[in-house]
Amino acid sequence: MNNAILEVTDLSKHFRTRRGVVSAWTGQGRVIPAVDGVSFYLKENETVGLVGESGCGKTTVARTVLRLTDPSGGRILFGGRDITHLRRAELRPLRREMQMIFQDLDAGLNPKMSVRAILREALTVYERPSNAEIERRIRELLEQVSLKESKLANFPGELSGGEKRRVGIARVLAVRPRLIVADEPTSALDVSIQAQVVNLLRELQKHLGLSYLFISHDLPVVELVSHKVAVMYLGRIVEMGLADAIAHQPRHPYTRILWSSLSEKQTAETATAKNIGGVFDFERPTGGCRFAPRCPLYQEKGRPAVCTDLASEPPLRDTGKGHVVACHFA
Amino acid sequence: MLLSIENLRSYFYSRSRRAFVRSVDGASLGVARGETLGVVGESGSGKTVAALSAAGLLSGSPGVIGGRIEFDSRNLLEGLERHVKVEERDGRVMAVEKDESGWRRHAKGLMRGVRGKQIAMIFQNPRAALNPYSTVGAQLVEAIRLHTEYKGEGEAKERALHWLERVRIDSPRLRFDNFPFGMSGGMCQRAMIAMALCAEPALLIADEPTTGLDATIQARIVELLAELKADTGITTMLISHDISVIRRLSDRVAVMYAGTVVESGAAPQVLRPQSTEQHPYTAALLASVPSAEAIRSKSALQAIEGEVPDTIDRPRGCRFYGRCNRVTDGVRSRCANLEPPLAEVAPGHSLRCWLHAA
Repeated sequence: MNNAILEVTDLSKHFRTRRGVVSAWTGQGRVIPAVDGVSFYLKENETVGLVGESGCGKTTVARTVLRLTDPSGGRILFGGRDITHLRRAELRPLRREMQMIFQDLDAGLNPKMSVRAILREALTVYERPSNAEIERRIRELLEQVSLKESKLANFPGELSGGEKRRVGIARVLAVRPRLIVADEPTSALDVSIQAQVVNLLRELQKHLGLSYLFISHDLPVVELVSHKVAVMYLGRIVEMGLADAIAHQPRHPYTRILWSSLSEKQTAETATAKNIGGVFDFERPTGGCRFAPRCPLYQEKGRPAVCTDLASEPPLRDTGKGHVVACHFA
Repeated sequence: MLLSIENLRSYFYSRSRRAFVRSVDGASLGVARGETLGVVGESGSGKTVAALSAAGLLSGSPGVIGGRIEFDSRNLLEGLERHVKVEERDGRVMAVEKDESGWRRHAKGLMRGVRGKQIAMIFQNPRAALNPYSTVGAQLVEAIRLHTEYKGEGEAKERALHWLERVRIDSPRLRFDNFPFGMSGGMCQRAMIAMALCAEPALLIADEPTTGLDATIQARIVELLAELKADTGITTMLISHDISVIRRLSDRVAVMYAGTVVESGAAPQVLRPQSTEQHPYTAALLASVPSAEAIRSKSALQAIEGEVPDTIDRPRGCRFYGRCNRVTDGVRSRCANLEPPLAEVAPGHSLRCWLHAA
C-alpha cells in the first residue's frame, strides 16, 4: 500500500497473568492472547473504525500500534517505515506524528495547570518557538477546536466535559500529528455534546488531512465517521470492509448480531440474537472458529464439524471489493 | 397515579464551587399503575437525583428540601418542610437550614415498609450494587426473607432459584453460589433485577440499567425488561440517556433538563422525530443522535450548541433559552425573562415552553 499511513500485519499481543509467588518465580501463568493476528491498513486522510465488545482487544490494538506496549509478534509500518522494533529514542521523533485521544476526559490534562499552560507545554515539547509564535499557535488551536479564549485561564476542573474534550484535542493537534488514534473519544460525553465532538473530528480531518483509527462501541457514530470498519471478536478481526457494507450487508454472523442488537433495542420485531448462547468471556475454544460457541449460524447449520475443527480457524477471505470475512459460510 | 412527584427540589452543597447546586429544581412527573415511564435527559439534568429522592435513598447534604412525593396516595414528604428553611437571592440559593436529625426521624416513619418492599431500585453499575463479600444466592435469600412471607431458609432458597430462572440466568443452581466478581456484567445486572423484583414491589426504578454494558448484552437486558413488564405488569420508572432504550420500553416519557421536567407525554408523541408539537430541547436531543439519513449522506450531525448549564444560578427565563434554536422574536423577551410553566398542549401531553403556551 503506497499511500497507507499505517499498515499492520499479523499483529499479536499476549499478556501473561501471574498468580501468587510460585508462578511469578517459575515464570508460569496463563497466557491471554488479547490480540491474535490482526492485519489492516489505514490510508492517508481516511478513518478506520474498530468495533467489538469490551475485552475483544480494540484498545490493545490501539496501544500496540502506537508502540505504547510492545507487540508479541507481527509488523507495524508507519508511513512505510517499520516501527515494530524501534527503540525509545528512535521512536521519539515519530511520536509527534502519531497521537492518541483517550476515553478518559482528564487523561493528559494536568489538573494543576491552566488551559494556557497545557497548550503551551504541548507546543514546546518538540520545538522551541518564540513567545509570540506560541501565542499565535494557541489562538490558532483554540479556533480549530472552537474554544473561547476566555477559557485559557481556566483549570481542567473548571471545564465541562465537552470543553475538556476540546482541550484534549487541541493538545494533540499542537504537535501537528498525521495519525490520531481515538479510543472511545465520545463515550464519556452527553448525547448533545457527542454530536459536537463528532462534527469537530470530521471537520479537522477535512482541513488538516488527518488519519484516524477510531475505536468505539457506538455503532452509528462509527458508521458515520469511518471509511472502513473492522469488527473484532476475541482478539481477531472477523470482518472488515467499507462502513456502509459492514452496517447494511454484514456477512459474518457476529457482525449481524452486533448491528441487529442496535435495532432490537428499538423494536420488538427482529430477534436474531435472541437465542445467542453463552456469555461473553475470555474463555475461548481451543481450536476452530472462536465464535462458534455463540454462533446462531453454527446451530442453524446443524453444528458442522468444520467450525470446530481444532486444526483450523476460518481465515479472512476476500469476498470482493476488499470486503473480508472470517467465516466458513458467509 | 402510583407515584406522583410535584415540584420536587433536591439541592446539594458543592464545596469546590462554594455554592448550592439545584440538582432537581421544581420537577413534576407521575407514573400510573402498570405503566412504564421513561425519563430521558443528559447527565446532570437531575434524573437520578429525582429517582433517588423518590426511593428515599438520597444521601448528601442538604438533599431533598421540598415538594411532594406521593406514593400509593401517601405523601412521603408529609410535613417535612417544616424542618427546612431556604434563603434565596437573585436565583441563587444562599443558605439552606435543614434539621437533619428531625427530618430523618420523621422521614423514616414515612418510608417504613416502602423502600425495598414497595419501591425497588436497580442501578447502572450492578457489580457495585451487589455485595462483593457474599454470594448472589445469599443476597437474594436475604432480600426474600426480609421482604416476603418466605421466611424459612429452604423455601427462601427455592424462591431465589425461581427468580434467577425468571431473569434467565443460565444454570441458576450453579450461579446461586457465585460471587459477583465471578459473573459478567450482564449476569450481575440480571441478578440485580432478580433481587429488586423478588420482593414483588409495586414500583421498580431502573436507573440506566443498560449503560456500561456491551451492545449485544444491552439488547438482552432490554429484552428481559420488556418480557418482565409483559408478564408481571410491574410499574416502572426507567431512567436512561439512551433514547432507543426509552423508545422501546416506555409507555410515557418525561424529558428532564437542568433539574426540571420540560416535556412529558405518551412515548410516541414525545419521541416523534421532526414534530412541531415538541419542546425545542426534545427536538434537538432527537436530532443529535445519528439518524440513518445522516449516516447515509455523511452529513454533519445536528449538535446542540453550547453546554448543559450548571444549576447553581437559576436563569430568570427558560432554562434552555441560551441553546434554543426555535425561539422566535415574538416570544424572545418572555423566554429570556420568565420561566414558562409546564402547560398541557394536548390531553396528557405537557410542555414547558413559551412557544406552546396558550
